[in-house]
Amino acid sequence: MIYKQSRRDFLQKTALITGGLFLGSHFPDLKAQSVIEGGNGKIVRLGLIGSGSRGQYLMTHINLIPGVEVVAVCDNYQPNLNKGVEMTGGKAEPFDDYSKLLDKDDIDGIIIATPLYLHSVMAVDALNAGLHVFCEKAMAKTPSECLDMYRAQQKTGKILLIGHQRMFNPKYLKAFEMINHGQLGDITQIRAYWHRNNDWRREVPEPGLEKTINWRLYWDYSEGLMTELGSHQIQVANFIKKDFPRRVSGTGSINYWHDGREVFDNVNLVYEYPDGSSLIYDSMINNAHYGLEEQIMGPKGTMELEIGRMYSENPPPAPGILQLLNNIEHKIFDPLPLGGKSWIPETEVKNIGEYIYEVDLEDDGTALEMEGFAQMIREDHHSDILLREAYYASIAAVLGNEAIKKGEVIEFPEEYIL
Amino acid sequence: MKDLVIKGKWLKRELIILAAVFLLAVIINIIGIVQHDTKWIEMISQLHVVIILTVILYVLLWIIRSVIYVLVLPFKRKKEETK
Repeated sequence: MIYKQSRRDFLQKTALITGGLFLGSHFPDLKAQSVIEGGNGKIVRLGLIGSGSRGQYLMTHINLIPGVEVVAVCDNYQPNLNKGVEMTGGKAEPFDDYSKLLDKDDIDGIIIATPLYLHSVMAVDALNAGLHVFCEKAMAKTPSECLDMYRAQQKTGKILLIGHQRMFNPKYLKAFEMINHGQLGDITQIRAYWHRNNDWRREVPEPGLEKTINWRLYWDYSEGLMTELGSHQIQVANFIKKDFPRRVSGTGSINYWHDGREVFDNVNLVYEYPDGSSLIYDSMINNAHYGLEEQIMGPKGTMELEIGRMYSENPPPAPGILQLLNNIEHKIFDPLPLGGKSWIPETEVKNIGEYIYEVDLEDDGTALEMEGFAQMIREDHHSDILLREAYYASIAAVLGNEAIKKGEVIEFPEEYIL
Repeated sequence: MKDLVIKGKWLKRELIILAAVFLLAVIINIIGIVQHDTKWIEMISQLHVVIILTVILYVLLWIIRSVIYVLVLPFKRKKEETK
């Protein structure tokens, strides 16, 4: 049964599931971050760098967390800075230069929600300034920047958490647990896609601000669909495979939005894992019919994680009376074949499956992720597992673009294997 | 307005028909379980299907009986007139 519930009930039930068998025994680092409420009483004071649309979205969640305050906001675009400060009730100190924000001595950590090309430099500076860092995904724009961030975390010991919120989504955590317990068998193939039907543009008040506001559309600032959308799903695939892809090949182009953008508006890639399994990935922004999904396939079944359903390859039979009535119905109404079919089309199996996690989730994991970051700060606990997940997923996303641009199969570079 | 009078005899007959139809639905459930080698717990767990089937069969039977009644009615009247 799907049911709605209070946030407190939700957190308690989630704690029972996500803090239980799977995360406790196999991924101990995740257990601590899965669900937190209240904390140890310490007020966590955060600075937000980048108060654009994503930063504002994160703030809506942070504002609901007890014991967490945004005390400083930084943005170089005045309307966004004003909005960010306004969302704190005017309490936050405004900055237009992030290095000045880092000099503040009364903040515990920062949230980076800036364009991709700024992630690395800002995160490294913040870590070196002795601050904990939550940085939006993807980790960085190039593999070497990802490595810089990883090394900075290792050197400083501060928390570096990348915004892959599915790792905090109870539905996904439950699915990971089920997969880990072998309910699908060995995972032989993962298909993932993210389809939208919009131009991905934001309104620009004056032409000079085009690249500042629509940074996602230009190679100097962004890696397009792969880092903005694909990295989430590659991270899920990697976590399920407990590995990262060693090769990638694919195609991509601008085949619809011929509006001056540089990044691809469609990508199609195959990532190969060392055990011979693969992640088949595609993303486009001119058709939204199929939406987004991660389809996890093994010899025993399939999971669709976004809609949260599992389909067994051998589902339990229907009750006898229904089978009998169904047979009678077919005998009466089905046309009589004149000759046997030599070939039956192997179309999709009509199996409605079952829910992975029977809770109506209103949060995609972002709220729990923000709570998790606050609690990690309180406990001064960094998760190397989560950082490595983000690291490999981000590099794989970037390598996907490289494979498309070069038209070659790209191997995961040895120098970036941790 | 004319009062609708339900005679005891009619009610008893309808209840017997309903019970017979329910028994038939239960037998169909048993056949289903045996034929498809499913669990005997379905005698209870599929009771809702049995009840739905009972209602469907009863309504079908009522329609058939009504059709027969309408077809037979002229002959019945003729017979009464000749008496």
